[in-house]
Amino acid sequence: MNKKNMRVLRELFYLRMHGLMVFRLDFLAPFFVDGSLFVIQLLAFGVVYGHVDAIGSWGRGEMILYIGTFSLLNAINMTIYFFGVNSIPYKVRSGELDLYLSKPVSPLFRLTFENISPGSVPLILMSLCIVAYGVSTLRMPLTLPVVISYGFWVLVMIVLYYELEVVIRSVSLYMVSMARLEQIEEAGLELCMKLPGIAFYGVYKVIFYLILPYGIMATLPVQSMIGEMNLQTAAFGIGVVALFSAVTAVLWTQGLKHYNSASS
Amino acid sequence: MKTQLVWRADVIFNMVFTITRIIFAYLLWEMVFQQKEMVGEFTFHGMMSYYIISSFLSQLEMSEGIGIEIHERIRNGTFSKYLVIPVGVEKYFMAMELGIVLFYVVFDFIAAMVWVFIFRIQFVFTADNGVIVCAVVMAVLGMVFMVQLNYFLGLLTLKYQGIGTFLMIKNNLMALITGTIIPLALFPEGIVKMMRLLPFYYVTYLPAMLLSGKCGEEAWMGLMAIGCWCLAMQFIIHGTWKKYLRKYDGVGI
Repeated sequence: MNKKNMRVLRELFYLRMHGLMVFRLDFLAPFFVDGSLFVIQLLAFGVVYGHVDAIGSWGRGEMILYIGTFSLLNAINMTIYFFGVNSIPYKVRSGELDLYLSKPVSPLFRLTFENISPGSVPLILMSLCIVAYGVSTLRMPLTLPVVISYGFWVLVMIVLYYELEVVIRSVSLYMVSMARLEQIEEAGLELCMKLPGIAFYGVYKVIFYLILPYGIMATLPVQSMIGEMNLQTAAFGIGVVALFSAVTAVLWTQGLKHYNSASS
Repeated sequence: MKTQLVWRADVIFNMVFTITRIIFAYLLWEMVFQQKEMVGEFTFHGMMSYYIISSFLSQLEMSEGIGIEIHERIRNGTFSKYLVIPVGVEKYFMAMELGIVLFYVVFDFIAAMVWVFIFRIQFVFTADNGVIVCAVVMAVLGMVFMVQLNYFLGLLTLKYQGIGTFLMIKNNLMALITGTIIPLALFPEGIVKMMRLLPFYYVTYLPAMLLSGKCGEEAWMGLMAIGCWCLAMQFIIHGTWKKYLRKYDGVGI
């Protein structure tokens, strides 16, 4: 990120904070809404683990770690880029994207960072607490390589999450309505938020590991932490992210060529 | 009904997306039942039957939009539309919900049958006609209660102005307390007893349990409980309407 982009980023942050302070009650809304979602997940799986010792190869600790990791990815997504990326279809439909194309800064860069949500930061802290709770339930020694490996995979999966959001919303540059795609995204996320990737097999694995890879997003960081990740899984994870990076770049750049202002 | 026919793709997607709940239940409980034959009082096929019925009922419950619509209309001042039409506002929303439910009931039923076939579920269904009648009436009263609840929450905008966040949290919570994520029977006994005091126990959970051949002894009590909750909610709505409508100025907040 060059110096100019850093200055733009700082200005976008100030503008966003100014906007948020006007509606102070809405400031912590993402924290309460998404926080309640993951607390409910914890409660639900707590009930299931009251009846069984393990689901597949994962015990209670692994599942808490999974919920915490998904919550962490979601929290970072909400804090940094969700509200910006989510506005792309509206800006395409209304023609507001014109304003972004005429500015001397990358349109996607500005769209990504213009709607950061500081109110979601407590969600990151809450997620870290859930992760810590998972680690303590597992009673595993937390060594530096384990933390680095987990952190690395969380970062990689944040990139994947971002790319998936941009890919889905880039479709609005080609088609008039993409509400169905957003519904598919919502359904995929809802399912994978509740179900770790180890549960998928056959056609489910193809769908949720490759086509809509929400199934690997929290699974791989957890597997890296609990020592279940092998070289093949790691290579697959990196490969999927690389594939989606290419798809995102092509869809977005080609999509901008399709964009014909307010009537698109 | 007429409005629903305009959005045909919505109908298809509404049907198709019921599958995510079934996939979740199928994959989760398939792994769990590999270790033991019974979980609580459920067999694998009993559990899947519960999820199919529960998913069918919760898919029909579409009153969430009522609260959001009232909230938005009060905030932007267009709630006046409902005050000038010659019909009670609550009755208007009840009729709207009825139109939606009657339209979707056939499609959601077809979807449920398709999932039973695709996932090869040995469907467990009660043979007791009395219990079936109780469960159907209870499910209908449950939907009436949910319309009342969402209508009431929407009206709270008259006092609190911004209730959007609260509505979203309520939706998250509903999935747990209506037993659509995990059957309430798996919760500790003390919590289930507490849940019985709340109306949400009777919205989808108990009707789904009754139809899948469980909790038959709770049928009549359940029917009375949800009936009482509907009456109580009607009094609350009446009081809220009388107290806060005068705060509405018709120009938006």
